[in-house]
Amino acid sequence: MKVLCDREKLREGLAIVNNVVPARSPKPILENVRVIVNDSSLQLIGTDLEVSVRYSIDDVKVGDPGVTVIPARVALDFIRDLTSETVTIDTNDNVCTITGGADSCELVTMDADEYPVTPTFEDKDTLTLQGGTFTRLVGQTAFAAAREAGRYAMHGVLITVQDDNLQMVATDGRRLALSSTPVQDVPADIPPAIVPTKGLQMFCRVIEDPLSNIKIKFGTNQIGMKTKHAEIFARLIDGDYPRYSEVIPTECKNSVEANTQMIERKLRLVANVTGDEARAVRLQITPGQMEFFGHSVGRGEAHAMMEIDYKGEGSDIAFNPDYVLDGMKNAERETVRLEFNDKTSPGKFSLGENYIYIVMPITVDV
Amino acid sequence: MKTAALHTLHVDMDAFYASVEVRDNPDLAGKPVCVGGPAAGRGVISAASYEARTFGVHSAMPTSVAQRLCPNLVILPPDFERYTEASRQIMSVFQSYTPLVEPLSLDEAFLDVAGCERLHGDAIKIGRAIKRDILRETALVASVGIAPSKFLAKLASDLDKPDGFRVIQPDEVRAVIDPLPVSKIFGVGERTAKRLAAMGIATVGDLASRSHEEVVKEFGASGAWIHDLAHGKDARRVNPRREEKSHGCERTFAEDVNDQDELRVYLLQFSEEVAFGLRGKGLRGRTVTLKVRYPDFKTVTRTKSLSAATNLGPRIYSVARELLERVRPGPMRLVGIQVSNLEDVRVPTQTTLFGELDSAGDDERAEWQAATKKLERATAGIDKLRRKFGKGAVVSGSLLGRPVPRGRDQ
Repeated sequence: MKVLCDREKLREGLAIVNNVVPARSPKPILENVRVIVNDSSLQLIGTDLEVSVRYSIDDVKVGDPGVTVIPARVALDFIRDLTSETVTIDTNDNVCTITGGADSCELVTMDADEYPVTPTFEDKDTLTLQGGTFTRLVGQTAFAAAREAGRYAMHGVLITVQDDNLQMVATDGRRLALSSTPVQDVPADIPPAIVPTKGLQMFCRVIEDPLSNIKIKFGTNQIGMKTKHAEIFARLIDGDYPRYSEVIPTECKNSVEANTQMIERKLRLVANVTGDEARAVRLQITPGQMEFFGHSVGRGEAHAMMEIDYKGEGSDIAFNPDYVLDGMKNAERETVRLEFNDKTSPGKFSLGENYIYIVMPITVDV
Repeated sequence: MKTAALHTLHVDMDAFYASVEVRDNPDLAGKPVCVGGPAAGRGVISAASYEARTFGVHSAMPTSVAQRLCPNLVILPPDFERYTEASRQIMSVFQSYTPLVEPLSLDEAFLDVAGCERLHGDAIKIGRAIKRDILRETALVASVGIAPSKFLAKLASDLDKPDGFRVIQPDEVRAVIDPLPVSKIFGVGERTAKRLAAMGIATVGDLASRSHEEVVKEFGASGAWIHDLAHGKDARRVNPRREEKSHGCERTFAEDVNDQDELRVYLLQFSEEVAFGLRGKGLRGRTVTLKVRYPDFKTVTRTKSLSAATNLGPRIYSVARELLERVRPGPMRLVGIQVSNLEDVRVPTQTTLFGELDSAGDDERAEWQAATKKLERATAGIDKLRRKFGKGAVVSGSLLGRPVPRGRDQ
């Protein structure tokens, strides 16, 4: 195998692949990148058996097509630190030589047949949407997915496609984010998919141009995504996703609209004085104003006030300010709406046309 | 270091349980009396009157041994309700002099009277008044120790027992503690005392004369601690809100119990008891530990943590039951449960969207949540009845006819 390609493009490809390649694995071959050279392009493949990525680089000069498997991290580091415009990859027996100008290294290769088989994207029955839309939906939801604790199914984002609508939901059991977007030319019978957060982040990482389209392929146990240069597959999380629609309040007694930035500012201000372990900011709503109150046993207490357009009865509810701020960061509108029934039931933040964020309150037994 | 002023009191009742019994039954006066479990039931002595002590009877001694030492020994079953009542009176005497009361048990507490001088006089005057008030209110005798630190105050109350009143002035600390055996130091048990003896250290004075480094080298961090105490250095303050780390209840059975159903009934009983105790203190716990001792004295524990802290008996019991499944079945000499990882019920709680069961379906979750709410309400009502009519007023059906457990069993 012999190929010549642009150094910067190769570096970028290797960097993407290295996001998936495990630094240390019980299967050492997974610490490698599979390099395939065919008649006109070079492909880099990496996988941790949960997520796999195939990255293609065009505009290469192929001397000899072939396949090799080389240490992913070392290859990236070496190529990053080269100074030449172009790089040549040349394999001979068990050695892969990488040359840039007058500099070179020889890497030990592994048996290409040992490398696990990774899926290839097929263009049939796929869903097409703009890359930027996809990235936005992930950004608006994935942060709310469970990380360490909680049910395994909540460690991913639930993606459903129904009635020409693509929807993403994530929850860790304490808050829940739901965002959706209209889509067209939807293939029939797309099953709901729980996609690991890591896979989604990889998807977003390879979207270079937010305005160009990407393709998504829904399978029974994996989901695939294709951009101009990359194909990513993620294994779906097998499990029952919580029945989230039942916990989204439909009718609420209290409804407040307020300026997004102002809420963010006041929350952050008051949160400075709340404790570390039990962070809570109480929102007290009375006609015309919303008061923020936070306190901690060791530090003291803080008050903040903002004017709101509200005519209903007085009420109050307390939230973990970090949770609320997580949502506010992604708000699409200048004004957001908060709705809730009482201080023990969920607070519903409407942060965009098709974006809602549910936060469970913090309660105090007396 | 700030010169330590004389403001720490240690008050300790003399042979508390036994004294309460003698007080309530004057016929027993002058006789060797003790409170404990029956010898036939492998009971141990929990308190012995001074008359009994002259025979060598002491607490924690198996009742059978005590009976051999003192054939005329009067052995009474414990009546914790009366002891608790007396304890309450004693504690309120303390509270009338200073808010800084750190109870160590039912009949023992540290008091800090710094700043009470203008109201009640100096520490010595307060000590005398407390001793007098306790006698007047409860007809029981207390020993009082007054010193510049907790360690010395406790030492002082012990030096002069029974009916003691001992002051250790800052300038006489050395003279008082130097001749005492090292075992008087809090933290020096049998084994440490032996190791110290091997180093040629028998008295507190011997220990104090050694260098700090030498003792630390031999005993590590605990060496630093006992060396400081030997020098009368004890920076611990009287802490009225000593945080409790756990609540537990255990019992050594009169006869080994093998029947799983019976073991479960005990666990239910202990769970209810521990939960009641937690609620009384405004606490709830997240971690449940089951302790089991087999006839060969092999002791095992199993622990499980809940996703949300609880102080409800049935919730604790269901975990205890699950843990019982995880230990080797067979005759058991002792079982007990403990709830730890405690928090104040007033700590704000993050509510959840889908309930607390991690593995169950959504319907089950909703049901569980509703059941917990209901249980909370019912428990609050039951607690009211129990406080008014006694702990046995309301019990679960399976516990009917069983005696109310009494803290740590004999």
